[in-house]
Amino acid sequence: MSLDPVFMPVRELSEHVRARRVSPVALAETFLARLEKIGPRYNAVVTVTRERALVEARRAEAEIAGGRYRGPLHGIPYGAKDLLATGGGIPTTWGAAPFREQRFAEDATVIRRLEAAGAVLCAKLAMIELAGGMGYRQPVASFTGPCLTPWSRDAWSGGSSSGSGAAVSAGLVPFAIGSETWGSILSPSGNCGTAGLRPSYGRVSRHGAMALCWTLDKLGPLALTADDCGLVLEAIAGADASDPTTSLRPYQYAADASPRRFRFGVLAGALDGVSDDMRAAFDRSLDVLRDFGSIEDAALPDLPWEAATRIILQAEAASAFEDLIESGGIAGLTAPEDHFLPYARDAVLAKDYVKAMRIRGLMAREADRLFERFDALVAPGRLTVATALDQEFRGGMRGTARDIMGAVGNGAGLPGLIVPNGFGDRGLPTSLQFLGRAWEENTLIAAGRAYQARTDWHTKHPPVEA
Amino acid sequence: MADREAAGAPLPATSPDSAAAEVAALFALVSARYGSRLDAPQLEGVRKAIEAIVDQAHAVRAVRLGNADEPYQTFRPYRADEAPRP
Repeated sequence: MSLDPVFMPVRELSEHVRARRVSPVALAETFLARLEKIGPRYNAVVTVTRERALVEARRAEAEIAGGRYRGPLHGIPYGAKDLLATGGGIPTTWGAAPFREQRFAEDATVIRRLEAAGAVLCAKLAMIELAGGMGYRQPVASFTGPCLTPWSRDAWSGGSSSGSGAAVSAGLVPFAIGSETWGSILSPSGNCGTAGLRPSYGRVSRHGAMALCWTLDKLGPLALTADDCGLVLEAIAGADASDPTTSLRPYQYAADASPRRFRFGVLAGALDGVSDDMRAAFDRSLDVLRDFGSIEDAALPDLPWEAATRIILQAEAASAFEDLIESGGIAGLTAPEDHFLPYARDAVLAKDYVKAMRIRGLMAREADRLFERFDALVAPGRLTVATALDQEFRGGMRGTARDIMGAVGNGAGLPGLIVPNGFGDRGLPTSLQFLGRAWEENTLIAAGRAYQARTDWHTKHPPVEA
Repeated sequence: MADREAAGAPLPATSPDSAAAEVAALFALVSARYGSRLDAPQLEGVRKAIEAIVDQAHAVRAVRLGNADEPYQTFRPYRADEAPRP
């Protein structure tokens, strides 16, 4: 293949595939080889799905040669977080040693939709065990080992969609699917310097995905650009009879939306605890955002945004994994803290969980009211750049740091987009996040595209030797 | 609606003594259920986690809601002969 597809956005790659300048089989071979050779360096891959990938790639090649082009994901390789069920004997491990031999009969809805779009599944990607729902506090929390950001030999990829972030960042796949309950798409995207999109709750079917928290779990793409996230979201979004929480609202990516001005808000408390390097990168980003939008301070009513969301998360996660916890099976998990923290969840009282769910209605209404004044809230993508592998990290989900953006976004089920916006301490990526009104993914992607049209951070890639 | 107008106003805070007693009671419950599986440092970790849970619970309990403020999730009766939703 004369054309180098590595680090090429899906948008560009798909044009080459459609025009038959690139063969889907050759593409699959290129990324399979990178997954097999480079993936282990970062502990990014659980299973390379070579056999399935080549079947799907040959099918794509034959269809495109026959004039049956399915769209921008046709023939494009991708990886899926290993909490998405895959049939055909491919393991689905949930990142956890007790489930390392687990297999499902059928594909998750998202996998089926990507297959229907002609995408080529090349790998099941590493993740924090049980999507981090047992309370992990440091990077060594997966039976496949701590996942590294490709930007450093001793810094964490973020989690829980760890391999999804690392694989896109290292050019092992053009895009990946991750999941977020609280922070699990934004964290690895931020640490690895990729784009990541957390869709509105109910936008994407969770059928076939490991349940951590039924009212918080979302599935979404990680890719090189905001634009690519839109292409992938269109393929995976939509109602699904197998997931009653999915919305009937159709989603079509507004790829050709005209340039516009945006009303951005900076939420009170969103900069609390942010490191100096992240803050400096954010301040530089505000200068860029002012080129195509206004920026004003924003505030929400004094509600227990973080406490309510955390109670919901802890209660639902404890129920979702009741068998594993009650049986003592958590002793088989990798992170030492996951061996005992789940037992504390018995202290979440039913009345408090219900109260949190009642407050959630208030949270959803108040957040929506705020978005009458703003197209998006903006903030640093993370509190800090990637932590070292041997360090505990701070996070809102664990209650060890403030994360008002994460609590509002996940508690109210709102979409979020993260894009790289520079480099901070130790040469590691910094990031910028956008938080939007429910179902306004297109608004966020348009803002992200406008930002990326004015910056080149997304074109910088880690030094990955083949 | 009077209930809605009252929503959001804070309720009186819980006293520290009450919170400590709640932590102790909940820790006793968790210890009784799982203590035999845990060593002393792990039990201390559980106690700290329960303290955080109680803090969160008190923050949630302090919010005044109206009777009409339902949990923000939907339950629907099921019939097999109806088309699945959505």
